This record gives sequence, C-alpha cells and structure tokens, in this order.
Amino acid sequence: MSDTPILELVGVTRRVQGRDLVSDVSLHLRAGEMLGVIGPNGSGKSTLLNMMAGLLPPTRGQVRLAGQPMVRLRRQQIAQQLAMVSQAAETGERISVRDAVELGRTPWLGPLWPWSARDDEAVQAALQAVGMEQMAARDWSTLSGGERQRVHIARAHAQAPRILLLDEPTNHLDIHHQIGILDLVSQLSVTTVIALHDMHHALRCDRVMVMQSGRCVALGAPLDVLTPALIREIFAVDAQLIAHPAGRLPLFAFQRLA
Amino acid sequence: MRRGAAVRGTGWLWLAPVVLAAALLFGSAVGETPIPLSTVVAVLASKAGLPAGVLDPVDASVIWHYRLSRAVVAACVGASLALSGLILQALLRNALAEPYLLGISAGASTGAVAVAVAGFGAGMVSMSAGAFAGALVAFGLVTILARAAQGTGVQTTGIIILAGIAGSQMFNAMTALIIAQSASAEQARGIMFWLLGNLSGVRWPDIRMALPMTLLGLGVALWHVRTLDAFTFGADSAAALGIDVRRAQAMLIGTTALVTAVMVSIAGAIGFVGLVVPHAMRFLVGVRHARLVPATALAGAVFLVLSDVVSRIVIPGQVLPIGVITALVGAPAFAVVMIRGRQR
Amino acid sequence: MLRMTTVIIAVLGLAPMAFAGTDYPLTLTSCGHDVTIDKAPERVVSVGQSTTEILYMLGLANKVAGTALWINPVLPAFAEADSKVERLSDNAPSFESVLATRPELVVTAYEWMIGPQGAVGTREMFDNAGIPSWIMPTECIGKDNSQSMDGARTVLFDAALLYQGIEELAQIFDVAERGEALIADLKARETGAIERAQALDLPDELSGAFWYSSADIEIDPYVAGINGVPGWMLSKLGVTNVVSSEEEWPTVGWETIARADPTFIVAAEMNRRRFPADDIAVKREFLSSDPVTSQMEAVKNDRILTLEAHAMDPSIRAIYGLEALSDALASLGLSE
Repeated sequence: MSDTPILELVGVTRRVQGRDLVSDVSLHLRAGEMLGVIGPNGSGKSTLLNMMAGLLPPTRGQVRLAGQPMVRLRRQQIAQQLAMVSQAAETGERISVRDAVELGRTPWLGPLWPWSARDDEAVQAALQAVGMEQMAARDWSTLSGGERQRVHIARAHAQAPRILLLDEPTNHLDIHHQIGILDLVSQLSVTTVIALHDMHHALRCDRVMVMQSGRCVALGAPLDVLTPALIREIFAVDAQLIAHPAGRLPLFAFQRLA
Repeated sequence: MRRGAAVRGTGWLWLAPVVLAAALLFGSAVGETPIPLSTVVAVLASKAGLPAGVLDPVDASVIWHYRLSRAVVAACVGASLALSGLILQALLRNALAEPYLLGISAGASTGAVAVAVAGFGAGMVSMSAGAFAGALVAFGLVTILARAAQGTGVQTTGIIILAGIAGSQMFNAMTALIIAQSASAEQARGIMFWLLGNLSGVRWPDIRMALPMTLLGLGVALWHVRTLDAFTFGADSAAALGIDVRRAQAMLIGTTALVTAVMVSIAGAIGFVGLVVPHAMRFLVGVRHARLVPATALAGAVFLVLSDVVSRIVIPGQVLPIGVITALVGAPAFAVVMIRGRQR
Repeated sequence: MLRMTTVIIAVLGLAPMAFAGTDYPLTLTSCGHDVTIDKAPERVVSVGQSTTEILYMLGLANKVAGTALWINPVLPAFAEADSKVERLSDNAPSFESVLATRPELVVTAYEWMIGPQGAVGTREMFDNAGIPSWIMPTECIGKDNSQSMDGARTVLFDAALLYQGIEELAQIFDVAERGEALIADLKARETGAIERAQALDLPDELSGAFWYSSADIEIDPYVAGINGVPGWMLSKLGVTNVVSSEEEWPTVGWETIARADPTFIVAAEMNRRRFPADDIAVKREFLSSDPVTSQMEAVKNDRILTLEAHAMDPSIRAIYGLEALSDALASLGLSE
C-alpha cells in the first residue's frame, strides 16, 4: 500500500465576498476510516464537504484525490471514486426508488457504454444494503424522510465509490431513523466523511474534526477531541461525559452556561 | 432478465416510424379543400416512382408541394419544440420551463416586426430572416445577462429563468414600441397571425433547415439522456454524479436555443407544444429520459401535424393560426392525460 | 388624371341656385351615434385618406385643419392643396394632437380609429370635448367591426354607401350642390364601366380573385372577401369571387385558390414596401414560380391584372378601380 492519502486537503480556503467560509484547512483522509465533521451551524461544514467533493473550487489551497489535484480531474473521474449525499436533495418528479438508485450508475455509463448486468447487480446490492429491495417500485413522493435518505445512500452506494461524503444525513429525522442511518453508514465498507451536529453521533466515528468559523480547531479520536473544555468553547454549553451503564459509548450531559 | 433503464420500456419504439408515417399521410390527405384519398395515394406513389396513371397537375402539386412538405415541417417543428421544452424542464428543474423562456419568441417577434413594420431591410428581407436574427440576438443578450449575474448568490437555474424573463420583457416592449410607432391595422394583424404560428408558407426548401436541426436536437438529447436523468435531484446532485454541469448546460441550452430559433423563423412562435407535450409524456412513459426523449419527439411531431390539419379544416375556407389550435386541442388533451396519470 | 381634374373644375364651376342650403342645427345619425352640427364647420380633422380626398373633391381643402392615416400619396390634383394642410400623422394621430387643432368636427373612414376601441379615441371622448364625430357609412352599414380589425361585411358593399357618405358630408358643410354634381359624375362613370363590360359579352362562368399582399411571400395571402369593394366590382361585372369569406381581407390558402382555379387574378399594386409581396413584381414572380400556383389557368394564360391597392378600399377610387378592371377585362380576350 502506498503512502498516498485517499483524499487530501492542503491549506484549503474558500472565500466568498470577502468572508472566509472555510479557512486554511488541511487533512489526510485515511483509507477505510469514518471521519466526523462537527461544528455549530454556519461553521463551514457543508462548504468543506462540497470542496472535498470537488463541487466547489477552493479559493486557495488544493484538494487531491488519490494524489491527483481535484481541479485537473474530469467530473466523471471524480464521481467514480467519490459519492456525495447532500442535505435534503429533493425532486418533484414521479421517480421510483429503483430509478433513483439507478442514477448512481451515471458515472460508469455513457452514450457508448450502455447499461449492463454489472449495473443491475450494483443497483440490487445497493437496494439490499439499505434494506429497500422490497420497496424498489415505490414512488418517491410516497416515501418518508428516513426512507428518502436511505434511497440517497443507496444511490451513493450504487456509485461504488471509494469515498462517501454525507452532509448531515440525520437532519430532520426522528431518533429511530437517525440511528438507523448511522448504523447503515457504519456498515458500508467505504471511507466516509460525515458532517454531523449531534456529538453522540460523533462519538461513533473513528476520528472527529471540529470546525468553528471555517477553521479546523481540533482533529483526532472522538474522546480525545470532544473534551468538556472544547465543547464549552465551541458550542457554548457546559458538557459532562457520563459512562454508559451497559458499557457502550459514553454519554454527554449538556447544560447551558450560566 | 435485463432490467436496465436503457432497454426497459422502449419496446414500443419500433412503432414510432409507423405512427409518424400515418400522421404524415393524414396530413397529406386532409386539407383546406377535399381531395380523395385515392388521389393522395396515387400522387405519393408516383413520387415514389410507382406507376400511378394520369394525375391532375394542381392536385398533384398541392399534395406534394404544399401538404406533404408542410406535414413534414410540422413534424420537425413539433418534435423540436417538445424536445426543447423537455431539456429545459430537466435542466432548470422548473415545470413551467419552455423553449420561449430564453427570450427566443420575444426576440423573434421583435425581429419580425422590425422587418414588417419598421421597414428594416426595405422589403428585401423576409419576416422569417428577421425573426431568426431577433431570436439569436435575444438569446445572446439573455446569456450575457445570465453570465453577468452569476455569483450574486442566486442559483444558476434561477438566474437563467430571471434573465429570460427580463430579456423577454425588454423585447416585448420593443415590439410594442415599433408597432405603436408605425403599424397599421392590416400589418399588425399580419404579424400577429404570423407570430401565433403559421405553416402555410412552408415548402420543401424549408425542410433543408428544419430536418437537420430536428435531427441535431434529437441526437444531442439522445446523447445526453443520462445527463438529463442526473439532474433529477438538481444541478449539485448531477455534478456529484459526475456530470460537468456547466458544459452540459451550455451544450444543451445552446442547442435548444439554436433549434428553437430556426423553428420559430420557419413557423412562428407556436406555443403550448414545448410546455405540455413533455409533461404528458412523463405521465405516459415515466420520467427516465431514455424513454422520455424519443416519446416526446414522436408525440410532439404527431401532435403538431394533427393540430395543423385541424387548423385547416375547423373553419371552412379559412386557416386559423396553429398556435390557437395547439392550445385549444392541447389543453383538454393534457387534462385527460393528467387525470389518467393520477389514477395509474 | 386629366379626367379627374375636369370633374373638379366642373364641380366647382357649377353654381346653380336649385339646391336649398342646409338648416342648422343639423342632426343626423352616423354609425349608430347621434351627431348635432350647429353650423357649417370651419375646421375639420380627417382621419383616413378616403374622407380626406372626398373633402378635397368637395372643394373643402381650406376647411381641413389636419389629416392622418395615409395609405397612398394624395391624388395628384390635390397635391398642392394638401401641402398647405397640416398632416398630424401618417398613421394614427394621438387624441390630443387632434384636439390641439381646435376642430369643430372630426371625420374618419375607420371605426378602429374613432369608435368603441378607437386608436385615436372613442366617440364619447370627442363628445365630451364638444366635438361631433362622423364616420363614413361604408364603414358600418352591413359591416361588423367587432370581431376583427379589418372587419367583416355581412352585406355586399355598394357604391350607394359611398354616395351617401358624400351626400352627408356635403350637407354638413352646406355644399349640397357640389355633392350632387360629384355623385352624378361618379354614377355616370360606374354605369359606363358596367356597360362596357357587358358589351364585351363575357362568358357566364368567369371567376376571379383579388390578391392584396402576403405577410411572407409563401404564406397564405390576404385576399378580398366576398362582400368588400372587390366583391362588389366582380358582382357588377358578372364575375364570381372564388373566395367565400365575409371577412374584408381574409387569409385564404393558395391550395383553396388554386383548386378553385379562377379565370383571372387581380394583384394589388402599392407604394408600400413592408412585406416583399407588396411589390407587384414579387407577386408575379411568385405566381409563375410556385409549383402549385404556376399550374393555375390564370397564370398559365397570363391573366394577372394589376390594380391600385387603394381602389380596393371603400373610397372614391373604388369607382376608378371598377373602370380600370372593366377595361382590363376587355384586354384579356375572353369574349365569346
């Protein structure tokens, strides 16, 4: 295995109308890890993910995908290696679940590379992975929010990427679906970057990056990074870490600062 | 069992040439004046090199030079406008997008009026040429406006729609200005008639423009069926699926503008086809463009050929603007498709 | 033109005492609107070439305060008189520009200028300004202007409407004898033209079509409807119009015209150059080169007649048009 990181950010900055949305962020993504990006609203999580996905060009710095500068790659080459699940991507079309998942094969197809049995397998595997194979014929408009998010993840899965980027995939979901989505993501054997704002969810990641005002203020193992002092500074709440009674991941107890 | 989108549900495609040929025959058989079907068949047979006996020269010319050429051009215009509407609706994620959104129809009006009313070209330039020039100028301005407004925070699709509206308003105002300054009643009526869509001036030479443009539009659309699908969840989602959004938009919108401008210059601004045919086809064949593109092209072609026939016979001895018919026939037809689609 | 000049001299020269003067206030109904004239107007605005030329022919050029809506150049006999009259606009004048001339009367040949949807104004607007408005009877008797701009004629046009208009104007301006003389002359010319046509002993089944212009050269042309001035000319000469629409200027496809195969086609000649087909040479070129029209008997036998466009409008020139058409028929050699 070579030393080339699967995805690398070097001093990446995104400046819009004189304001830095993301400022000087560097990162080596490790193959197979699950990286959580956490921070308050407006801290630059979405912008950072969009730059990782090559959807936004950095104003300064560079994003490299498997050693290649992202700006020199064609969109199709990027999409073959990297899939992105954005926040609340919606449609008014009368599209079926299978149709939506089949879209994931787009980077592998072209006018001269038609649909093949391999694509059918990828779609079937993706539907299975999210447990929706029974709902493949369902109309998009009849799905609940959690089901839609699962279909989006299945679409990204069908894309067969090496890296999966998820932008707050548990937003607007009830707790049952939140945990379901996170379980699903952690089962996918793929390098994952996931933007979150729930610190309990962050504890499940291999590493956590904490963002504040566009800057990376901490990066490391969840329990090393998410200290009461840092949480107090970033989120302006008093936090205490409490051991789980059954020995699972510890819990946070939050209190507003006096 | 292969279940890929590219092959699934396209088995009906072999029917397309048959349906189209039937529509063209119908368009040749029915016109302002009654000509027996046997004569029509005999004329077409003789043109195909088959023995057909002695034919009346006026009848033969009417069928071959007026009706068949007109039906073929109607099919081209219908297919092109419907496809243009489909492409814009997919790219701009706007159900109300239609080919004239880009200022093309407003620009064509201004161009035609500048020629016919303001005397631009001193009777040497035809209204069609004026319309074509006006359409391209308007689209150019809308593009420049949209580019200049990029990066103001509004989404790209929103910018294109806003620029189109601004451009259309400006060109409509210019048209009104020219007419108010110098038009007589007869001229204004002539221009309105022409702008509402008119295929009566169509002859075989027009097909030299119409057919290649239609094939260009169809070819580009077929080449990009997966690109169009990828826009289902918006432009960002398309980009994440590996689509070069800017290139795709430039290619597809540019082709749409060119094809529409040519069609408007040949037949006037025929409304309704580009807006409604794609929606009707979504109800009938679903939302995947591998099916939607050929279905929309075929339905647009057949719909316009039939509308043209109706425009010739609905009031005996007089021809109505085809745009009036497309709306009068199209609106109820669309309602039926919509209601049936809901029950599906 | 020489003939016309003689008419005018004759009209102006005659001064018999036989005609009674107009009694004011004069009340009359013009296109369904009651009009009261208190005294012979000293200042009149005429919107429409047809009314303007009638006023000139009645020797009233010095009473005309403004003109508008010109289609052709003024008749040469009146070129000098017209040059002294203010031309408010070549097209529709604005309401205020009409009022600014302080007219005591406005007259028009077109309801779409002064009427319910008048481009200049409604008749009520003029009433409110204390200005009576008068419209040529040719514009509203037997004619419905509510559906289309050029209107439709439900009853065949008749020169009597034109004469009625001349008579009413003569009465309004208290020049009844000049009106009578003008009408008498026009009637004589009308009768003469019809008699000459009858003397040709034309076959019974003659048919014709009038082509005014086309918005684009190959598009459906504007042709004369069955009841307009051209329809009246054809009926007077015993010729059938192949067009059956009651619209004044319907668009009818060449397919319909070619398959009806008229004996002759009358093509309008005009100075206007807005559509290519305004040019008579372009019209002729199209007829002989189009695959369908070139097959028509009228084209193959070179029976394409030319007539001044304004003669196809309800105006004095309609009478001259009838004469011209009658003479042109004589030249076709259709006699049995």
